[in-house]
Amino acid sequence: MTKLAYYPGCSLHSTAKELDSSFDGTMAKLEVDLAEIPGWQCCGNSAGHSANRLLAAALPANELVKVKDDMKLDAVAVPCAACYNRFQSANHEVSDEAMAADIAQVVGRPYDGGVKVLNLVDVYHDQVGLAALEAKVVKPFQGLKVASYYGCLLTRPPKVTLAEDPEYPVHMDAVVEAIGCTPVDWDSKTDCCGAGLALCEQDVVDKLVKGIITNARERGAEAIACACPLCQINLDGRQGEIKKTDGAWVDMPILYLSQMVGHALGVSDKQLGLKKAMVDVARVLA
Amino acid sequence: MEMEEEVTQTLSGALAARIRSGSGENPYKCYQCKKCSTGCPVAQFADVHPAQIMRAVQLGDEAMSVDSRFIWLCTGCEACTTRCPQGIDVAAIMDELRIIARQDGRVRRDMPFARILDLNYKSFKRWGRLYELELVSLDLLKRPKAALGYTSLGIKMMAKGKISLLPTIGDRKQMKRMARAAERIEARRRVEAKAAAAGKAPGASGASAAGGTPKGGGAS
Repeated sequence: MTKLAYYPGCSLHSTAKELDSSFDGTMAKLEVDLAEIPGWQCCGNSAGHSANRLLAAALPANELVKVKDDMKLDAVAVPCAACYNRFQSANHEVSDEAMAADIAQVVGRPYDGGVKVLNLVDVYHDQVGLAALEAKVVKPFQGLKVASYYGCLLTRPPKVTLAEDPEYPVHMDAVVEAIGCTPVDWDSKTDCCGAGLALCEQDVVDKLVKGIITNARERGAEAIACACPLCQINLDGRQGEIKKTDGAWVDMPILYLSQMVGHALGVSDKQLGLKKAMVDVARVLA
Repeated sequence: MEMEEEVTQTLSGALAARIRSGSGENPYKCYQCKKCSTGCPVAQFADVHPAQIMRAVQLGDEAMSVDSRFIWLCTGCEACTTRCPQGIDVAAIMDELRIIARQDGRVRRDMPFARILDLNYKSFKRWGRLYELELVSLDLLKRPKAALGYTSLGIKMMAKGKISLLPTIGDRKQMKRMARAAERIEARRRVEAKAAAAGKAPGASGASAAGGTPKGGGAS
């Protein structure tokens, strides 16, 4: 049994509880033991790095040093794409000596990097591996056409995320394929959905969301797979608002990758939190 | 002959120097290929686009950069940073412009994202974790009309159990200590950087086109 440190982050305890529970369900089935970082703090999110660059690096560094020195583990699973990005940034920032010294002063002890940070796709694709994943599938999808959506923070900037390909990554496609889906080629895979602006610039956000979902639909997708709590709530939640002005709008189910994997592995619907979706997802999981 | 509007532009390196000191990025590496702008998801909704901001920063034009709507529409998606052929972290420069706007007391009041970012920062600092319901409530107190924009989705989210009524709390003491230490170090550095930048270009604080500079950005 592999053991990974686990950093849920704020969203997985609120707007994205189903990402937490579905991820957990899949890890149990795939025999990965998750150890939550004790007393974890907010990673600082976008508000952190647009106010104080040092604190924004120190907050995730503080979690990473806990993983390394206190938990004695060498990898941490961070399913939220925004948190993942901050954690990878911290790993990147400590490669600069002066910055590392400042970070150590804020954190109270040094962190010199070395803890591997895994996002949702990495956990299934790299940690578990496609063959091991496929071997555990009990309820394969029957070729459901899926647009795998990365959004911004999983791959950008590549010097920080070390992504396979920042413009057209394909690991998520391989994961959905391993559970019986058919990935579609599409254009908006790494486009930004504008979720950060959802509380104040709804017109902007609705246009971005509409563009992304429309592209997925035109490319034949029957569902969109997400690996970010901000993307999921934004793509799922805004559709109800878009419908108010666009009578012809056709709903697109938006699922977390962990919900899709969990479904194929036989995790219960309750644990997958399928009822939390605004746009019904049951029809694509039948 | 028609009267031509007189446009004067005083060049200043002060803004670029502050940006360089705060973010480590050199704005003068930009040669205006505009890849940042073509890949930007929000440029179409803004007053200026990222390449224009980069140009304004090079010229020391604070009105067009620090006071732009754009810096408060940037989602931080990093497409600009990823695609810049000069390897400039353009998104970090946008962050830096926000920080400068706060430091110089010139945050635009008509851009609600500015306040949401502040509320967000205060929230995780207070609780150790982000308390979304508090953030939204405090925002609504200041901006009740905004309710029209997001309460309908908010209510649906509540019904789905997607919004926690109470905060989940991190290690508050540790958060307080770390935030205080980081703020102290950064504040000291930024005051020094601002003074040094102003010293390099005396009198040229916020050069701007056609009388557009609202407030001096020089050292106090």
